[in-house]
Amino acid sequence: MVRGAWCVARGPLLLVLLCAPRDALHAQRDTVNAQQPDTTAFYKALELESAGKYKEAAPLFRMALNTTSAVSALLGLERVYAELGWSDSLLAPLDMLIRRSPRENVYRSVQLRTLQSLGRDDKLHAAIDRWIAEVPGDPTPYREYSRLLLQRGLTASADSVIRQARQRLGSSNDLQLEIAQLRAAMGLWEESAQAWRLALATSPYLEQAAIYALTPTPPATRSAIRQVFLAAPIDVASRRALAGLEVGWGAPSEGWLALKDLPPDSMSAAAWTDFATRAEAEERWPLARDALVAALRWRRTPEATLRAANAALRAADPGTALVLLPPEGPNAPVVTDSARAARTTVPIQARALAMVGRPAAAERLVARYDRFFTPGARTALTRAIALGWVRTGDMARARASLSTTGTEGDSSDAAGWLALYEGNLRTARVLLRTSAETTPELATALAIIARIHADSAPALGRAFLMLARNDSAGAATAFVEAADRQAVGEATSILLATGAQLRAALHDDTQAITLWRRIVEQESTTPEAPSAELEWARALRRHGDAPAAVARLEHLILTYPQSALVPQARRELDLARAGIPGTT
Amino acid sequence: MSKVSTLRRAVAALLFVLAAAPAAAQRLLVPMDDAQQDHLKAYGIMYNALKDGLSGEWLLNYRGGAFLLPDTPELRKRAALAGVTVEPMDDGQLGSIRAQIANSNMDAVPLEKAPRIAVYSPPEALPWDDAVTLALKYAGIDYTRIYDDEVEHGDLSKYEWLHLHHEDFTGQLNKFYLTYREAPWFIELMQQNLQAAKRLGFANIPALKKDVAEKIRQFVERGGFLFAMCGATETLELAIAGHDVDLAGAYIDGTPMDDDADRKMDWKRSFAFRDAHLEHSPFVNSMSDIDGHQVNVPGRRQPLGTFTLFNFSAKFDPVPSMLVQNHRAVVSDFYGVTTSFTRAVLKPSDVILAEEPGAPWVKYLHGDYGKGTWTYYGGHDPEDPQHAIGNAPTDLSLHKNSPGYRLILNNVLFPAAKKKPLKT
Repeated sequence: MVRGAWCVARGPLLLVLLCAPRDALHAQRDTVNAQQPDTTAFYKALELESAGKYKEAAPLFRMALNTTSAVSALLGLERVYAELGWSDSLLAPLDMLIRRSPRENVYRSVQLRTLQSLGRDDKLHAAIDRWIAEVPGDPTPYREYSRLLLQRGLTASADSVIRQARQRLGSSNDLQLEIAQLRAAMGLWEESAQAWRLALATSPYLEQAAIYALTPTPPATRSAIRQVFLAAPIDVASRRALAGLEVGWGAPSEGWLALKDLPPDSMSAAAWTDFATRAEAEERWPLARDALVAALRWRRTPEATLRAANAALRAADPGTALVLLPPEGPNAPVVTDSARAARTTVPIQARALAMVGRPAAAERLVARYDRFFTPGARTALTRAIALGWVRTGDMARARASLSTTGTEGDSSDAAGWLALYEGNLRTARVLLRTSAETTPELATALAIIARIHADSAPALGRAFLMLARNDSAGAATAFVEAADRQAVGEATSILLATGAQLRAALHDDTQAITLWRRIVEQESTTPEAPSAELEWARALRRHGDAPAAVARLEHLILTYPQSALVPQARRELDLARAGIPGTT
Repeated sequence: MSKVSTLRRAVAALLFVLAAAPAAAQRLLVPMDDAQQDHLKAYGIMYNALKDGLSGEWLLNYRGGAFLLPDTPELRKRAALAGVTVEPMDDGQLGSIRAQIANSNMDAVPLEKAPRIAVYSPPEALPWDDAVTLALKYAGIDYTRIYDDEVEHGDLSKYEWLHLHHEDFTGQLNKFYLTYREAPWFIELMQQNLQAAKRLGFANIPALKKDVAEKIRQFVERGGFLFAMCGATETLELAIAGHDVDLAGAYIDGTPMDDDADRKMDWKRSFAFRDAHLEHSPFVNSMSDIDGHQVNVPGRRQPLGTFTLFNFSAKFDPVPSMLVQNHRAVVSDFYGVTTSFTRAVLKPSDVILAEEPGAPWVKYLHGDYGKGTWTYYGGHDPEDPQHAIGNAPTDLSLHKNSPGYRLILNNVLFPAAKKKPLKT
């Protein structure tokens, strides 16, 4: 109101002042029109800028302001002036450009940036006021200004700009992105999440920005963020953002929960596939399987089916792999190219059959496609089938299966595993040592048999056999039984540690602690002792018995001061004593 | 088993016992230079040894401000558990060290009694942490948390050392009302402070906080050791000097700040500052011009640099020397609600412990007041230069050698020093 009165009072004077420049502008525009097709100056300026010749580039960018490349030229001029420390020289051309094209937001944004970088706050406010007055009802000026303030960390000022926008525009719907960023900068995480949700509803491409802004949310506040993004109605972009946040927070399983109940459509399928790709890269096979199977609900392609079956197989879920790729029956995929099938579906099907205890079916399938396999692929499948026979307990068939691959079969690591299952350590030691495998199971087997001097240990073979049959509880017991045999000698502690590890993986901490205690108390000079004591302490802390955990950790640090585990033990000790903040 | 073998074993066992048993005159040196694996926990070892009735020495300017302790199995055990580096010293080595100390800008200050520590902090969890409690917890130093009720009931007399961190003693709740008035934690904070004011017989929050500030002033005057950081430094001074002035905005006590507040401030009462100018606008997140950095005020915020610790004469200025013992002389600066202290408002008697050379502010200050002392350290968290509300607390096991945190822990130990006659 006051401003309006002032303008009326000064009106005639202003008109007089503006006439001359406007005439000049018309004249300039005529020149511009004549030059418009010529963008040579602009490209020459870019070359000079790339070469670091800012002084030479500046006049050419200025010249290009009068061509069709004016917007790009202005941005170039802004860059080179900033390099030269001449940003104030940008103000005059900006005034001219804004008068010429008042609706061009880039000019306005550059003007605000320049005034802010020069610290000319009064002129900055005046420029904002002019912009707002010239485009009433347009949220852009508020948006640009609040972004500028946020970049400088001026959250309170940004907040007041947004409040002003809400007042003048009657709504802040068009400013949700800025509100979201502002609230995150203020540590108002839940409010930020609410604004992000609204922003994502209209601009799904902001997903990564939302993840970036909300990742620092403290653990105590994360459940509120989850509620915001999980609330009805389901919005795919918000769910994708939540999944990304969960992965960043170290809880990828929670990430899948955010996505699993999306309605099957193209957007959801893209979300599931993207999530699966990340899970595959991180070898989180159960999550990859679930996401890929969900994506098949929308569109079933041979490639997607194969990928899902492979993930299922790697997730130790052969049943699902066989449901997805049935090797026979009415639902079997039509295989028109046998060579291709031998490279893609058949190996998965055969491995899955062997894993579910149907090695005979696997053998038949492999035999059907035998001529299409490379020698390497055939050997690998034969080993898988042999292990299938092992799982069924038929060692003779396993050996027979391996023999089909000739002499190589007898000297392969699969033969080494068979020897180990039979307790023949002498052979196992030789064959497994040369294995190309790098699995944790092989590392454990080699570590154990290296510590046993005897050539035969049937009890140990039984333990590994149970492990191969996925009987973890039985294997844990069998490893302890093997440890009790005289023949294992120096391997007692590692066998007990393996048993404890299996018990812990089965969430049977009571049994695991019994074994760790035995190692610490009876095998205190072995390499497994400090590691067992650390695991024991961790289990105690998990169960809320901090004093007992502290006692164990102190014992570990004082008893094994040279152990590489001491730094970890000290950290655990700090956590148990609440000397440092927890990380969950 | 042969006799020779048995004899060999016996000799070996005897040698082991002789090697393991400390000689009567042996000491443990806790180096505080770069040889130290965990500087922060070293303070905990020293503090707890004093607490257990042992005595030690602080070797000022020797190997980063090393500590000397009796060599006992218990202390060795504690050092091993904490990962603190210790070096056994025999009489010969010790004599050599003492000779070096006598001939250099070094001194050996006896440490006798661990001070009883109180930290003034609200019992409710707030969305920020406190560097001092983080350091104390990490070092394993016990402290008692006290707040308005305890102070008003006279509990300060139970302690020798008091720490303040984030409190706004002007009662304006750090002017967070401007940006966080709708945040649940702020609403709760305001309600709790209002209830405390009512419960303790005050009309509003500013009246309560100013009375608490007055009791803290009296605590120092009577001989207490005060260590304050962040916003507590500036607001404590304002509350003490403005004891009889309305310093608070209308949003917190119903009346605007006294227009003539600047003139009415009684700076004779305050510890460190004089003639500061108050920020009158309730919409500007600043209290006064005491803070040089003004981190939360658009257009006034100053960039962070580094600050340099003064090298005092260990023999003539033992207290300032103790407060600046460090393995680094230059430390990266860090923001806080109050980051630094403008030189123009310092009292002439203030001892500047650390400053940013060439800048119009200083970082670390100390002084005497009555029978006690005060020390101010600007900034919030030495290892998180831009700590924002809601950020996760700093995990000090990742900053075991933090020079910025060492300055905090110097303050915990220096009250343990035995006063000795000044050498002339």
